[in-house]
Amino acid sequence: MTRYSLAVDIGGTFTDAVLLADDGRTFVDKTLTTHGNLLEGFFRGVDLVMGRAGIAPSDVNDVVVHATTVVTNALIERKGPPVGLILTKGFTDILYIRDEHRYDMYDPQIEFAEPLIPRERTWPLDERVLADGTVEKGASEAEIATIARECRSRGIQSVAVSLINAYRNGENEALVAEIFARETPEIFVSLSSVIAPQMREYLRTSTVAINAYTVPITRPYLEALIAELERRGFTQQPLIMLSNGGVIGAARAGTLPVRMIESGPAAGALVACYFSRMFGLPDLISFDMGGTTAKACMIQNHEPLVTSTFEVDRRYRFKPGSGMPITVPSIDMIEIGAGGGSIAWVDELGLLRTGPESAGSIPGPVCYGRGGTEPCVTDADVVLGILDPDRFLGGDMKLDADGARAAIATLGARIGLTSEQAAWGMYEVVCEQMAAAARTHATDRGVDYRGLPMLAFGGAGPVHACLVADLIESTQVIYPPLASVLSAFGTLVTPAQIDLVRSQLGLIDRFDTATARDFVSQMTEEGTAALTEAGLAPADIGFVFGADLRYFGQQSELRIELPFDPRAGLDTAAMRAIFDREYVAQYGLKLDMPIELVNWHVTARGSLPDRAAAHVAKGNSRPTPRSRIVHIRGKPVETAVYSRTELMEDDPIAGPVIVEERETTIFVLPGWTIRLHPNGSLVADKITER
Amino acid sequence: MDGVELQILWSNVIGIVSEQARALQRIAFSPIVREAGDLANGIFDARARMVAQAVTGTPGHINSLAAAAANLLRHVDADSLKPGDVLITNDPWMSAGHFFDITVLSPIFRGDRIIGYAGSTIHHTDIGGYGIGSGARDIHEEGLWIPVLKLYEAGVRNETLFSIITRNVRTPDALLGDLGAQVSSGMIASQRLNALCDRYGLDDIETLADEIIARSDKATRESIRALPGGTFHGESTFDVPGGDRITLKTAVTIDNEAGEITVDFAGSSGRSPRGINVVPAYTQAYATFAIRSTLNPDLPNNAGSLAPIRMKLPDDCIVNATYPSPVNARHVVGMYVPFPILNALAQVVPDKVVAEGSGAVWTVQIQGQDSEGRAFTSSMFNYSGGMGARAGKPGISAVCYPTGVSAVPVEVLEAAYPIVFTCKELERGSGGGGLQRGGDGQRIGFRMRTTQPWLLNTVPSRLLEAPQGLAGGEPGRAGQFLVNGKATVLSGKTDMKAGDEVMMITPGGGGFGAPAAAGADG
Repeated sequence: MTRYSLAVDIGGTFTDAVLLADDGRTFVDKTLTTHGNLLEGFFRGVDLVMGRAGIAPSDVNDVVVHATTVVTNALIERKGPPVGLILTKGFTDILYIRDEHRYDMYDPQIEFAEPLIPRERTWPLDERVLADGTVEKGASEAEIATIARECRSRGIQSVAVSLINAYRNGENEALVAEIFARETPEIFVSLSSVIAPQMREYLRTSTVAINAYTVPITRPYLEALIAELERRGFTQQPLIMLSNGGVIGAARAGTLPVRMIESGPAAGALVACYFSRMFGLPDLISFDMGGTTAKACMIQNHEPLVTSTFEVDRRYRFKPGSGMPITVPSIDMIEIGAGGGSIAWVDELGLLRTGPESAGSIPGPVCYGRGGTEPCVTDADVVLGILDPDRFLGGDMKLDADGARAAIATLGARIGLTSEQAAWGMYEVVCEQMAAAARTHATDRGVDYRGLPMLAFGGAGPVHACLVADLIESTQVIYPPLASVLSAFGTLVTPAQIDLVRSQLGLIDRFDTATARDFVSQMTEEGTAALTEAGLAPADIGFVFGADLRYFGQQSELRIELPFDPRAGLDTAAMRAIFDREYVAQYGLKLDMPIELVNWHVTARGSLPDRAAAHVAKGNSRPTPRSRIVHIRGKPVETAVYSRTELMEDDPIAGPVIVEERETTIFVLPGWTIRLHPNGSLVADKITER
Repeated sequence: MDGVELQILWSNVIGIVSEQARALQRIAFSPIVREAGDLANGIFDARARMVAQAVTGTPGHINSLAAAAANLLRHVDADSLKPGDVLITNDPWMSAGHFFDITVLSPIFRGDRIIGYAGSTIHHTDIGGYGIGSGARDIHEEGLWIPVLKLYEAGVRNETLFSIITRNVRTPDALLGDLGAQVSSGMIASQRLNALCDRYGLDDIETLADEIIARSDKATRESIRALPGGTFHGESTFDVPGGDRITLKTAVTIDNEAGEITVDFAGSSGRSPRGINVVPAYTQAYATFAIRSTLNPDLPNNAGSLAPIRMKLPDDCIVNATYPSPVNARHVVGMYVPFPILNALAQVVPDKVVAEGSGAVWTVQIQGQDSEGRAFTSSMFNYSGGMGARAGKPGISAVCYPTGVSAVPVEVLEAAYPIVFTCKELERGSGGGGLQRGGDGQRIGFRMRTTQPWLLNTVPSRLLEAPQGLAGGEPGRAGQFLVNGKATVLSGKTDMKAGDEVMMITPGGGGFGAPAAAGADG
């Protein structure tokens, strides 16, 4: 019997649906996201791909996976119902005070977003836990009950609780949850000791506030999804993609929306892992460039790098520090304001710059002819001849090349360049900007980027990847098939996984091992519960243990993977040896100092799904190319143009060359070749000098 | 070089200096470096001109570091430097104005030739001597003075210097760890700059540096030429630990032909017997910051953009410290240097300035023994009052201007030391009224979890003189410093009893514009 799996990725602009059969047949669809009711677009896409395959909902007997932008949208729009916040008495302005940092030293005009939950809906609770976990003052049941009733009378459906030092001892927070459950069971309570049990009150409060704020939106959304799938005759419970690259059951995901924020981009990074396994390349860098931003992720040993903190909704000139921080395990991606819609400009020093201001899709680049007047990266691609104005989106959208050229000519005139020179300048500057970001990101994490193969996707990714690769000294670029719906595909090659973390401070040599065992056991139990709900048998669940360590007195930690199960005892000698080794690898020296533990990590995961790769069309003989002029480094160069589906296997074509497909265009520089790999991907290789 | 080629090389240099800063911040021991981001990193060319800086820390550090490389190389012959050499100093007049700030400078070699320098300045946890605060009577009481020396010579540790440092500071492990981080970040910058030269086939960065510095100089002059010429006066009065009132007066002369600004501090308060005197480099750091952040905050900060801004300092002046004046808490005056300048510039570009705010952050250090008798010395931690209002926007609460360092989280401090905070909230209504309100200050209380007496070393300011508003805006509220509920004037280290409770209420920022008539918009 054929096994079918279904994936839907709802992004900010498009909703992608992929139906994959285990015999390799693949059905895809891309439609505009229906922001009024996201599920409308979900089922439109589902109906289309199932119609094409000629199957019924009950035939989908493998997974149904969903990645969604619903949480991010809720945070940006801020139209959610009122939410409450309970903080330790004396500390009720945590969201207003933030970390007191003026994130741009030189700009006196900076702004911060209003707190997600205002002071009017913040309640002080007279309680106190100390840093060592001692409860100095227990919380009063009567006081909590009063707060609960006030919340009810004010129509509050969801409450965040973040008490000082609750990362160390969540007893008082647990009591709040208990009393709310008794007094006002309709109010959903998010506890910081459950959502983000880590030190640093602002980071933890921001995280739990975001969770509480979005629960009233995600829970009904996912419940409606579950109900509608069931109504239509689907037999599978939907799984939801999380920011850490794992999937869990939709019902549980609805209570942990803060873990879903980077759902779509995480799926993109997982695709890179999938191809790294398929190509047998343990380390690579994924490069996803769209209309407004570019994202890169480092894959090491077939796994994406992960991080514990990131920021959402940057409010002031896209500046780091102007958004809301979140601390939950997440795939570590660098995202920069460089996309097809990024606007080019000349700065005060007469330097050509691109972004971070973007023309987006409305009005968009000048060549879209929708009223855009500022020259964008896509305009440069058209002027250079890389994009064919008559074949954009398969010819569905005609581009205004003359308008693009005129806009770039005006910009170029300011610094003495022709429109072609300025267009190449924009192309180079935006590529260098992405390469620079990737270099910093990699070295910041102790990764040697030089020579890493690159996986390119997203609408603008393949247009620019070859030069970006060149600039980070890479010699290979992989252009996977299904590039336009790749994130949706990514959710299907993802294991069920949840990452958990608990803070416990102490020197590893004299450690409270009982507490450590308790923490780790609690996390393995929580992980087992989450994955069992996602349909896994307990025997199929594996654990990876990790710890954040630092030299005593240091303020930032290094994450190490533990070669043992901490529940069975701690091998501190091994911990020290691994830490010293990692430290030397990253910073070039080790210190003769005691080592301190900060956090325990547990990753619970199922096995890797083994789903077939998609079929791709290919040619049988070398096709005769069309050609057009591309202005490379200021010189017109006759460049061969092929369609992706007509290329023949293992027949390298020398650059410069263009390979077109409906949603994107691959541009390969002189000095490189491109070939169709038997697995369906195109591979560009740098010609090495001998 | 055209605007494309230069942009590409330039963005690479910015990338290097950010990598350098990130590495330093990640491996530093001092919480003020890691949590508060109080550090400066810069890349210098072979002629010791600052080319690029990391966007971190405080103007005091950054702009002092800009001058430090040249100062150090006046004492060491650059031609005698060898690969693996690392220079160090904490001389207040050569770098950032007090002993706590140690500057480390590493020559960057390409082959056997120096193509530039990587520098960093960070605030260390302790430097011996008096410790934090303004109580020392001359500079020698303030701690260990490290002249310009080699910390490493051809890659080999200067053991004599290391053992002198180890014996003369209270927290040698943290200090040596942080020095290690500074050396390490210099190594990273050196590798990356060489990789950049390899990638683009450059022998050195001189052409790149010339272009960037010349263009920055030109752009700064152009923005000054766009202003009306003339001399504009501004002054600002504030009070410092111990209750002294200090007045800074400035005459800001805009020469809109040469495109230069000169700031003259004539008429300002004279030298202080307390450790709040400011060395010229630190004064210049904050003066140039005030002008640069008002006129063209987006322009890169380097030797070129700093050059058109000059200073005149009278001989006997609190912002012109001379040996042997104590300088330890120089930031309580230095961080007010921008305000008389902004008050003068308010007459020229009222839409771009900021009203007076809390100014200096309040710094705190605690020392003592916990109940089991184990000694502790905290690093310095700091809290902000409210920022002054802008013409078009309110002041931000609990955010300082001109500095912008983060506060160390309550939970981090409580986990590290036997301190317990009783509250940390906004002091609502403390920002001054106006068309745009000033930002609110904070109310921060703490006590020690110990049965032993302890030492408090704190530097509050603006307890008497409230931050003034601009253009008819009302003043913010002055701060309060309370011990066991009683207003207290502290001017140095103070012995505290086990159960004592401290309450600090930081000042609110001044408002901008006369408040709307009652009822106009609530």
